[in-house]
Amino acid sequence: MCCTHSFEEVKSEPLSPPVSLDGIKGMKFFDPHVHMTSRTTDDYQAMADAGVVALIEPAFWLGQPRTGIDSYRDYYSTLIGWERFRSSQFGIKHYCTIGLNSREANNEALAEQVMEILPLFVYKEGVVGIGEIGFDDQTPAEEKYYRLQLELAKESGLPVQIHTPHRDKKGGTRRSMDIAIEHGLDPYKVIVDHNTEETVKEVLDRGFWAAFTIYPFTKMGNERMVDIARQYGPERIMVNSAADWGISDPLAVPKTAALMKIRGISDTDIELITYRNAITAFAQSGQIDEADFASAGSAIDQSQKFEGNTILRGGQQPRTDKSSIIIS
Amino acid sequence: MEKIKGIIKEIIKANAAPDVVGWLEEERALNTSFVLLPRKTGKAIINISKEQAEQLNSIIPGFSVDGWSIDRLGRAFLLLNLDAVNKDEYFRKIENLFLAAEMGELVALYSALPLLAYPEIWVKRCSEGVRSNIGNVMEAVMYHNPYPAQNLDQNAWNQMVLRAFFTGKDVGKIIGIDSRANKELAYIISDYIHERWAAKREVNPNLWRLVGKFIDEKLFEDIKRLFEEGNLVDRKAGALAISQSNYQPAKALLTKYPELVTAIENKNLNWDSLSR
Repeated sequence: MCCTHSFEEVKSEPLSPPVSLDGIKGMKFFDPHVHMTSRTTDDYQAMADAGVVALIEPAFWLGQPRTGIDSYRDYYSTLIGWERFRSSQFGIKHYCTIGLNSREANNEALAEQVMEILPLFVYKEGVVGIGEIGFDDQTPAEEKYYRLQLELAKESGLPVQIHTPHRDKKGGTRRSMDIAIEHGLDPYKVIVDHNTEETVKEVLDRGFWAAFTIYPFTKMGNERMVDIARQYGPERIMVNSAADWGISDPLAVPKTAALMKIRGISDTDIELITYRNAITAFAQSGQIDEADFASAGSAIDQSQKFEGNTILRGGQQPRTDKSSIIIS
Repeated sequence: MEKIKGIIKEIIKANAAPDVVGWLEEERALNTSFVLLPRKTGKAIINISKEQAEQLNSIIPGFSVDGWSIDRLGRAFLLLNLDAVNKDEYFRKIENLFLAAEMGELVALYSALPLLAYPEIWVKRCSEGVRSNIGNVMEAVMYHNPYPAQNLDQNAWNQMVLRAFFTGKDVGKIIGIDSRANKELAYIISDYIHERWAAKREVNPNLWRLVGKFIDEKLFEDIKRLFEEGNLVDRKAGALAISQSNYQPAKALLTKYPELVTAIENKNLNWDSLSR
């Protein structure tokens, strides 16, 4: 859940250097926060081409509020079903986190029903955390359901993916961490998302994971991200795109890696920030087997193999020539 | 079903850790067991003996667990162990699993349809699986699954077969593909082939498998086109189709291609070899 910007806020920016991902050819990326239900198959293709081998799709809101419990059920089912399949067609391993997002926690009648069905989903295969949860307006209802879901995380042994608010970010981030600790969660199992230069120090000092969302206009730019990597090093830091239905970029992770490379960050550090750390953090769920995607293109996921055909592995989707006016 | 349960239990014993069967038979909420199961069983592909495969197939003709993963089989075993005395409750419990299922669970659920009690209550559910957009879920309904052929009405059956063609499935793996062929389907397929021809797209030669038995004056026009304008595979398909037919003009046409007739008689040419 990323966008509070309205589209009018978007100003035209001066032309920037063209994308070149040459420097990162052959590197693998893990995008631990991206809302693929809002994206097209072209994005999947582009992500696969750029080296994204796995991703996590956190449950979030749809841009407008849901009005009934079945919408939630169908949405969660999409994350563990259809979207997982769509992703697999491009050779990208799809994981998700399941939770009640903070905005919709404010509809208490519905939130109650959501809490009832969450246990049906959090134990599913490939669910790597409770998320994205936390604060938006920081209302009492948001706090109530945040706390209840922290308890669910403890009970299920799953990591937590925390969305930090846009407004009063610093206070909201601190409060989110305070409450997590109050509930006895190990900070090493909690990923605090959407950090800025202002929040990162405290998050790291207290032992949490610090995720950065590279998202134009409203969140981090990747040049700022390079500076943060320089200042804080790679430990417990990860980047994601949080690409969704707003003006966002599903290639934010590989692009950031490419920029880091150009600006002299070491390959080892780039790998930690754009791949390894996300795996380490979320694999605490017991639901990530790196062998499923580490050798993308050649790995065979036995569970999706039928009659000897690995129908679902990468590169299977026919390509169309986008530059042609002919559609056949 | 008791016999099936026994065989599947043996297969699980041979393919999983010693405590797995015990775990599967423990009293526990179905939802929980069903979801957690792969953490207990792993996801390896099972090995079964030829005898076990034959036993399963003799009890439920067409049914096969060959190539299944152990979690898929374990989930089928859980369903077999469900108390089916109360029909409504039985339906509700299993339907709830469908409603919140992830991909692997859907595969297990749909491929277990022939093992469930009250076959008639799963017909709508089966068609829902046919409508799935997820390739391996569709295959769980279509491949080596005797449920559709035994339970779907003609319209639903035809939709399934058409969908199999539209999504590039291996129709040879559909149980009942030949025995449930029907004239209505043959005509729909003819229309579909004309559409492909008009679009200058390839035509899957296996489509003719469903036309052969019903060749009449109208369908014969299509068959003639195969021989007049088609390539070797098209002519082979045409020959195989005619070999299923009693329509005299078609049989007369085939006599002009003695090498195809011989190949069919010698069983060197059949629908399965054609798709290879």
